[in-house]
Amino acid sequence: MSQRYVVVVKADCPTCQLIAPVLEALAPRETVALWSQDDPAFPAVSGVQHDVTLKASFDLGVEIVPALIAFSGEEEVARCEGWERAAWQSILEDPTLGAELPALRPGCASLSVTPPHSERLRAERLAARRVTLGQEEDIQEALFDRGWSDGLPVVPPTPERVARMLEGTSRDPAEVLGDVPPNLVPVTVEKVAINAVLAGCKPEYLPVVLAAVEAALLPPFCMHGLLATTYFSGPMVVVCGPLAKAIGMNSQGNALGQGNRANATIGRALQLVIRNVGGGRPQGVDRATLGNPGKYTFCFAEDGDPKWSNLNEDAGLPRNANSVTLFAADGVQGIVDQKARTPEPLCRSFAEALKVVSHPKMVQAADAFLVVSPEHARVFHDAGWSKEAVTKTLRDYLTRPGQELIRGAGGMEEGLPPALAERSFEKFREGGLRLVRAGGEAGMFSAVIGGWGASGTIGSSPVTHEIRL
Amino acid sequence: MSTGLVVMDPTGESAPAARTPLPLPASVAGKVVGLLDISKPRGDVFLDHVEGKLKAAGAEVRRYSKPTFTRPAPTALRQQIAEECDLVLEALAD
Amino acid sequence: MRDLDQRGVPGAFLASTAFVEAAEVQAEALAFPARRCFVPHPIQDRTDAEMVGLAEAAWEEILGNLQAPE
Repeated sequence: MSQRYVVVVKADCPTCQLIAPVLEALAPRETVALWSQDDPAFPAVSGVQHDVTLKASFDLGVEIVPALIAFSGEEEVARCEGWERAAWQSILEDPTLGAELPALRPGCASLSVTPPHSERLRAERLAARRVTLGQEEDIQEALFDRGWSDGLPVVPPTPERVARMLEGTSRDPAEVLGDVPPNLVPVTVEKVAINAVLAGCKPEYLPVVLAAVEAALLPPFCMHGLLATTYFSGPMVVVCGPLAKAIGMNSQGNALGQGNRANATIGRALQLVIRNVGGGRPQGVDRATLGNPGKYTFCFAEDGDPKWSNLNEDAGLPRNANSVTLFAADGVQGIVDQKARTPEPLCRSFAEALKVVSHPKMVQAADAFLVVSPEHARVFHDAGWSKEAVTKTLRDYLTRPGQELIRGAGGMEEGLPPALAERSFEKFREGGLRLVRAGGEAGMFSAVIGGWGASGTIGSSPVTHEIRL
Repeated sequence: MSTGLVVMDPTGESAPAARTPLPLPASVAGKVVGLLDISKPRGDVFLDHVEGKLKAAGAEVRRYSKPTFTRPAPTALRQQIAEECDLVLEALAD
Repeated sequence: MRDLDQRGVPGAFLASTAFVEAAEVQAEALAFPARRCFVPHPIQDRTDAEMVGLAEAAWEEILGNLQAPE
C-alpha cells in the first residue's frame, strides 16, 4: 500500500519556524503534501499548499501545528502533532531528519481549532437547511412569523449557536434519533440542537434534551396518541442522577415552577422539537380541549433521597446513572397535610387526593405521579417506610368497592357499568402510581400529577431512558 | 447588498424555506372582500369600479381607507379589516 | 399585506408599474412575497373614464390574485 504524508504548519508558530529546514527538505517529496495555514510563502520553498479555508486542517482533525500525519492508502496510520524528532524520523522512515534540531519542541494551536475559524468551520458542516431572513425583518418577529415559536420568544438559531450547542454532545450530528409524530419526520441530533438553541438551552443541556426526545419516541410512551388526544396531557421530563446537579437543574424549592434555566429550557426544547419537527400544533393535530401550562415546559430534577430509591433504581438502573423519565402529565394538584406525624394518616390524605385523578369514579385509566416533598418524606423516613411501603399502602387505600364506582353512584353519571358493582377496583393499574421526591425543605405540601386517561398498552406508559453524553 | 441573518431551519423542512402567503379561496363568491384605499389620488375611482366587478362576481365588498398614504395602516384599522374580511385588496400605489 | 396575511386575511396589492422594482426589493427585504399586480403608470393625471378603463383591463389579473386558479 502506498505511503503518503500530510504536513500542516503555520508561519505564526515558533516551532514551525524552527523546523523550517525539515519542511524544506520534505516539500519536494512526491509522497508529501505540505499545507500552510496562514502564509503560503512559508516555508520558502515551492510545493506549499495554502489551506486558506482551513478545510484541510479541519477535516484532518489537526489540533496542534506542526502536524505530521501518515496514510497507508486512505487510512491514517500514524500522527505526530508538535515537533518530536524521534517520532517524525520514525514515521517518515528517515533516521537523519532534523538531526541538527532539538529533540522536542511543543507546537502551537492549529488555526482550525481557534476561534473564530473553529466556529465557522463547525458551522459550515451543519446539514440542515439554512433560512435567510429579510434584511428588514425584525429578527424576533421573523421567528414568530415563521411559526417556530411556542408563543414565547425564541433564540435565533444561527449556525454558530447551533455549532456551539453541538459541542455539548459527543454524538454525531447526523445520527437519527427516530421519527417524530405526527408527520413521522426523522430527527437528527443536529435538528434537536437547533431546537435546543431556540429554547434557550446551554450546550451542556443537550444530552438531556436528546435523551428526552429519544424517550418520547419510544413506542410505550405513545407520543402520537398523546399529541392527538383531546385530553390535557403533555410530556413531563424528570431528570435523575448526578448530571442534573452538574448542569444546575432545580430539584428543590419551586422545582415545578419557573426560574431555573435548565428546568425551563430542557422541557421547552422537547416541546419545540415535537412542534417544529413533527408538526404537532394546537388545533392542528394537537386537539387538546384545554391543554395545560406544562405544555410550554414541564421538567424538573428528582431530589436525591438517601433513604429512598430514586427513579433510576425504580427502573432497574444503577442509583448513580443519569436518566430521564417521561410521563404524559397534566397539571399539578396540590395536597396539604400539616398534621400527619405518622405514615398512615399521611397516606390517607394522599389517597383522597389521588382518588380524583381524571374523575373520582374512573379507575384503571390514568396513571399518576405523586411528588413527595422533603417534609412529607421525613414522616415516612422517621417510621422507616420505603417508597415501596408507601406505594403498597396507597394502593390498599385506593382499592374501592364497585358499588361506589358504578354509573349513577354518588349522583354522577360517569362511572363503571353496573354489572361490576360486586367487584372491587384499584384506582391505578399495576405500576400506574409512581413516587418521586422533589421540593424545598419547608412546607408540608406534596403534589399529584395526573396522567393521560389512556395508559399502559392502550395509551402511554412512563418511560425511563438513560442519558448519553 | 446586505442580506438578512442566516438561521438554521428547526422544522422538518417539508414546507418551502421561503414564506408563502396564505392560500386563496376557490372563489370570491360568498366572501367578504375588503378594499383598502391607500388614499392616493384617483385610487377611489379605480376601486369603485373594482367594487362593482366584485359584487357582480358574488362577493360582499367593504371599503376602508388609510388616513394617509405616508404611513402603514393603523393597528386598529388592520384589526378591523381582519375581523370583517376574508380577503383584502390594497390600492393604488404610484 | 404581510401583517394582514398574518392576521388570516390573504390578498394582494395594486400599484402602478413605477412600483415594480420597489415591490420586488421590499418582498425580499421582508422575506414576504406579497401577491401584487400592476397597472400602467401614470395614475395621478388620469380622467375618471381612463381609471375605469385601467380597472377593467386589470380585472382578470386582480381576480386571479383573490381566488385560486382552477
